[in-house]
Amino acid sequence: MNDTHSNSQGQAAGITCCPTCAKLCRIEDNYCQRCGQHVQSRDYASIQKSWALLITAAVLLVPANLYPITVMTSQGQVRRDTIFSGINHLIHLDLWPIAIILFTASILVPMLKIIGLATYLLAISYRLPISKKTLMTGFHIIEWIGRWSMLDLFVISITAALVNMGQIFDAKPAPAATAFALVVLLTQLAAKVLDTRLLWDRLEAKNDKN
Amino acid sequence: MTKIETPKVVKKKLFSPIWLLPIIALALGAWLGVKSIRESGIDVRIHFPSATGIDVGKTLVRYQGLTVGKVVDISIDDALQGVNVDLLMDYRSTPFLKDNTKFWLVTPKASITGVEGLDALFSGNYIAIQPGDGNDRNEFIAEDQAPPVAPGSDGLMVQLSSPTLGSLDIGSQIFYRQIPVGKIFSYRLVNDSSILFNAYIQKQYTHLVKQNSQFWNVSGLAVDASLSGIKVKTESLSAILAGGVSFSSDPNGLQAEPNQHYTIFDNKDAAIGGVGFSLLASNADAIQTGASIVFRGIEIGRVTHTHLSDAGVQFDATFDTDYAHLLSGTAQFWVEGAGISTKGIKHAARLLTGSVINFMPGTGEPLAQYPLLDSAPPLHNQPFALTLTANENPGINIGAQVRFKQLPIGSVSAVRFKQDYSGVEYSIDIWPEYQRLISSGSYFIPESALAIDASIDGITVKTRDLDTLTQGAISLIQGKSLTLVKEHSTLALFSSQKQAKEAISQAAQRRITLLSPDGADLSVTSPLYFKKMQIGQVLDVAWQPQSNNFAITLGIDKQFDSLLTPKTVFWRNSALTVDASLRGVNVEVAPLSGAIKGSVSLGLLDSDNAVNRQHLYGSKALALAKATPITLSFPATTKLAAKAAIRYLGHQVGEIEQVKLNDDLSTVNVDAYLYGDYAKAFTRQDAQYFLVDAQISLSGIQAAETLLTGPYVAVLPGNSQHLSQHFIGLTDNPVQLDDGSLQVTLIDSSLGSIRIGSPIIFRGIKIGEIAHYQLSNNGTEVNMRAQIDTRYQHLVNQSSQFWDMSGIKIDVGLFSGAQIETGSLETILTGGIGVATQAVTSSANRLGSNQAFILHDKPQTDWLDWAPNQQPNP
Repeated sequence: MNDTHSNSQGQAAGITCCPTCAKLCRIEDNYCQRCGQHVQSRDYASIQKSWALLITAAVLLVPANLYPITVMTSQGQVRRDTIFSGINHLIHLDLWPIAIILFTASILVPMLKIIGLATYLLAISYRLPISKKTLMTGFHIIEWIGRWSMLDLFVISITAALVNMGQIFDAKPAPAATAFALVVLLTQLAAKVLDTRLLWDRLEAKNDKN
Repeated sequence: MTKIETPKVVKKKLFSPIWLLPIIALALGAWLGVKSIRESGIDVRIHFPSATGIDVGKTLVRYQGLTVGKVVDISIDDALQGVNVDLLMDYRSTPFLKDNTKFWLVTPKASITGVEGLDALFSGNYIAIQPGDGNDRNEFIAEDQAPPVAPGSDGLMVQLSSPTLGSLDIGSQIFYRQIPVGKIFSYRLVNDSSILFNAYIQKQYTHLVKQNSQFWNVSGLAVDASLSGIKVKTESLSAILAGGVSFSSDPNGLQAEPNQHYTIFDNKDAAIGGVGFSLLASNADAIQTGASIVFRGIEIGRVTHTHLSDAGVQFDATFDTDYAHLLSGTAQFWVEGAGISTKGIKHAARLLTGSVINFMPGTGEPLAQYPLLDSAPPLHNQPFALTLTANENPGINIGAQVRFKQLPIGSVSAVRFKQDYSGVEYSIDIWPEYQRLISSGSYFIPESALAIDASIDGITVKTRDLDTLTQGAISLIQGKSLTLVKEHSTLALFSSQKQAKEAISQAAQRRITLLSPDGADLSVTSPLYFKKMQIGQVLDVAWQPQSNNFAITLGIDKQFDSLLTPKTVFWRNSALTVDASLRGVNVEVAPLSGAIKGSVSLGLLDSDNAVNRQHLYGSKALALAKATPITLSFPATTKLAAKAAIRYLGHQVGEIEQVKLNDDLSTVNVDAYLYGDYAKAFTRQDAQYFLVDAQISLSGIQAAETLLTGPYVAVLPGNSQHLSQHFIGLTDNPVQLDDGSLQVTLIDSSLGSIRIGSPIIFRGIKIGEIAHYQLSNNGTEVNMRAQIDTRYQHLVNQSSQFWDMSGIKIDVGLFSGAQIETGSLETILTGGIGVATQAVTSSANRLGSNQAFILHDKPQTDWLDWAPNQQPNP
């Protein structure tokens, strides 16, 4: 009813963008004239892929949190810390700011990311009643904040490299580090692989509907 | 119209391969989960008396150094009687957790028996686990301390039994020759009467344990304090505090079986044992358990048990293994206590220690039982009696031991004064079997109870036993001779070995007595050197009033006997001899000890001439010149000095040694030496010594050299057969009568200027001289003795006239004028006598001996014209 032009989509015009070289292609060509990439108006399989990656990440989140992420050897004493016990330890040491950063980056962000992505996927598939604006803001936040989850691993890798004094003082990553890295990676991939046009389609539609 | 191909509908696969990812993740997660559940560990609760040193989360459970668990919780037990420690054990430790599994806390502990848990010092305390058997179990009670290492298949387990625990404990060490070779790891009471120890011998030492090994307790200190001294014995410091067991084995014994059973004896003596036998007595008055059995004063066994039997009191006794062979069929035992008699107390120590059982060996096979006699049986062998003499008693009492190499070989039976009270005399009894130790030349010295020898090398303190202190003891020092001494002979007891050696070496010295006019700075022990090596010493310096000199007795070691030949001379050494001559200065310093104490040297002469060996010369030069001492007396005015020469016709034949003013102040005594080669002629009684001094007169200087050298003594040899050493020295030249020359006596009323030596002048030529002049006995005239040279004798006869031609004769007359007569210039100065002869000398007018002539004042004129044609004697 308003400006239909502003809401008109390439799909309707039979054109779409090449995902690789961003050339405007005709959908019916199936292949990009420039780079030969398969083009399609909407990648419906991406939802499935995203789901699979997301679920894997969710599964891996369990060992990532249950298993120790670092092994510290201090004067012969071995100390294994899970993410949570590490935060706990920091709190005991009254290092609240660091504890909050660590909690945010290591626990909150991956969890939120998984939950957020799941929400979007559900929103695409089942057209959940979420306002377009909320979805847009959330998506940007997820995209932006996701990478910060690597902070934890970054710290571990630096510590492991720097603190290496054998029996006296030593820090090493533990199995959970792998799992955690995978969680972060998989959530990133899940966000990446999702064909966001499906979301916009849904938003448009919803907008129309609303 | 082109036919549009029907689109090929591809049925979409239900699942994309991407779904494998979550499946794998799930599977992985599930596996991990299952694994972690499976390996989550086993909860174990251990009851500790206290939680000291245990930390939740920190204290680990270790088995053989491997961490198998961790303390997860500590809680106080319900009865408040300790703490419950919850452990989370590794899932693999399940097989450990049985009924007999033991847990204990390992803390670093340094104790006298060793250091434990050193590793805990660094890793913190930990709970150690020792697996056991039995049923599975999850609740345990901790051990107080580490259970002993359970012996494995290596090493040897033996069982030891003892009536009491003593200070033995789990962990007490087992020693072999003081090396820890094992440990006691458990003990328990058996049959309410003995304690059975399980001991473990380390594998490398198992071969030391034999079937006949003897074990004994070495716990703590074994202090054996008796009158004979204090003996402290211990195995090691840990054995003192923690107890220990030692053992010894017969090296040829069979190897011990595992779990072989042994008895722990109280001490080594009991363990090593000996030969057991019993003694039977009517009562046990003096003998108690533990009483010694002595033989020749040496303890060779002891009474181990005393009990009543039908026949009386039976003493069970053992002989030390070393002495077991002494036990024989006819051996005799008797009680011997302290002997109190008029002679004194014998074996006073036994007043305190109790009596001992004395033993006399016999022959034949040992018996099981011997009678214990009340008193000593008559001895078959009488001791070998000797007498010792000493200057004073060094503390030897009756009953003192006589020892040889610190073993008793006899005893002192009597101490008394010598009959003349000049010393002490001892009667000693040497036991017969040691009789042959006493050879001639043997001597005895007293044992000192305490000898401290402090030198640069350190301080050595040597002590002897208490007996030596209380009773004294004497030691035999064997002589080198093989000849044995006879019974009742007398030997010497010296105060020390040093003194003995000195006395013996003195006895072996050759003695020589030298005479010296003075003490020569010598004292007893002044050394005697030969070529600067000490070969003897001065034994005595004695003044001999009758001869007014000193007798110096020298002892020369026997080995230098050959030095005492007729050519031997002795001289005293100067501490410092400086021989300065134009050839250089030679300074000789005597050996220091000799320089301080004075010393004597011995030398050998080159020539064979026998010398006065009895004399101690003042210097080496004198001695080597074989100088003969003489003494001269001169008037006190004599200006002689030491070292002045004695000369004969200008040749030195001797030397003044010293000049002493006599007490009367009128004479000096001159000690002088004549060189040996010339001594004989100059020691005749009529030899004449006179002083030669420079005489300056108008006629010249006589003995001008004495102006520089000082006066010397001239000597004229004598003819007498009698020898003398003392001479009266003359200040003037004695009349030197020349036997061959013609002598006449000239008589004048006054001497005028005639002097000795004034010439007799014949036609201006000197044919003789005045040798001597003297006042006639009545004092009215002067008699001058003139000597006419032999070759001019024929010029003088009875017809000769002599006149004085001394000086210048001036005859002044009124008419005759002045007439001046002189002889030669010499006669003007020294005086002279002219002579003229009238007749030819013939046998008729030849001059007899000592013919006298008047000395005329002046010649008559015709005398000067006499000119007989004299012919020399054919």
